[in-house]
Amino acid sequence: MEKDKKESHKLPLHKSMKLTIISFAYAYRTNILGLIMGTTFGFLMSRAGATTFDYHAEMFLFIDMQLMKVIVTAVVIAMIGVFLMKKYHVQAVTTGMEVDFVKKPYQQGLIAGAFLFGVGWAMTAACPGTVPAMLGEGKISAIFTLTGLLLGTMAYGVLQGFIANNGSYADAFKD
Amino acid sequence: MEITVWDGWLAGLAMGLFVIMHFWLIGKPAGCSTGYGNVCGYLCKNMSYYHTGEYSQRNNAKLWFLIGIPLGGLLSALSSPEPWQLSFDMGMYDAVLPQSDAAKAIWLIFGGMLLGFGARLAGACTTGHALVGGAMMNPPSLLAAAVFFMSAFITTWLIFEL
Repeated sequence: MEKDKKESHKLPLHKSMKLTIISFAYAYRTNILGLIMGTTFGFLMSRAGATTFDYHAEMFLFIDMQLMKVIVTAVVIAMIGVFLMKKYHVQAVTTGMEVDFVKKPYQQGLIAGAFLFGVGWAMTAACPGTVPAMLGEGKISAIFTLTGLLLGTMAYGVLQGFIANNGSYADAFKD
Repeated sequence: MEITVWDGWLAGLAMGLFVIMHFWLIGKPAGCSTGYGNVCGYLCKNMSYYHTGEYSQRNNAKLWFLIGIPLGGLLSALSSPEPWQLSFDMGMYDAVLPQSDAAKAIWLIFGGMLLGFGARLAGACTTGHALVGGAMMNPPSLLAAAVFFMSAFITTWLIFEL
């Protein structure tokens, strides 16, 4: 077996490198595309002004509707796109299957959660999507908001573990 | 530090096309806050909630999406006319937030906790509910978006006007 492996590789270096890169890119296509999409998203968020604190305050105080324009335009464009993709049954690149328009279901606590989320949004002038972009821009406040975000997400995990184990939180903290 | 900001309509157009691209390339709705659950799964090895169900496969597109966002922010800052620099300047918020840096940090951590906990309780964040959920006209998402826009509106007025 060991010998077979060595002998099967008789390709010149450049060709072998090319094949390695192609197979790597294929095997990790979801991760690579995710990374590229994330980078694009961060860049667009930043260019849209969603990482600039003042735009958040100005939107809610009705001074400057920059972010409102962004979100309304984006939703309308995306809505048209979703309609067309559904109509023509477009296939997704990574999965090779039809695009999955899975909708977030109504869940218990949705209203309470959304309320808390809004308070957090007004307090930090950030949302989970813009915090990492702010970090990339060198905004120190993002470090603290990100810490809080992870703690809040963890708290939800602890709560769920607590509920699943009938009021025992042994699960979340056992080592 | 000033970041170049595009016109609202143009940025919105780009963001809308981005959402469509994400559907086409990844095959699933775009989302940010779920990725934080993946990170928590890696940070806390024993938190069963972030190791089961939709979090059983944590090394997925959502995690890499989250890793990509800071790179995008960095690219945006580097391609702006002013040089990249660290700053704790929060613009209009500096006048209304606690004045000392430590108190500001505590305020931000607390706000971040509300964001993280609220996003998981509601199921998604601004991206997942307002942007993508709005595009799919999903009723629970529209409800959540209406609620968090309202509560953020009320809180901002309380912070700035009282």
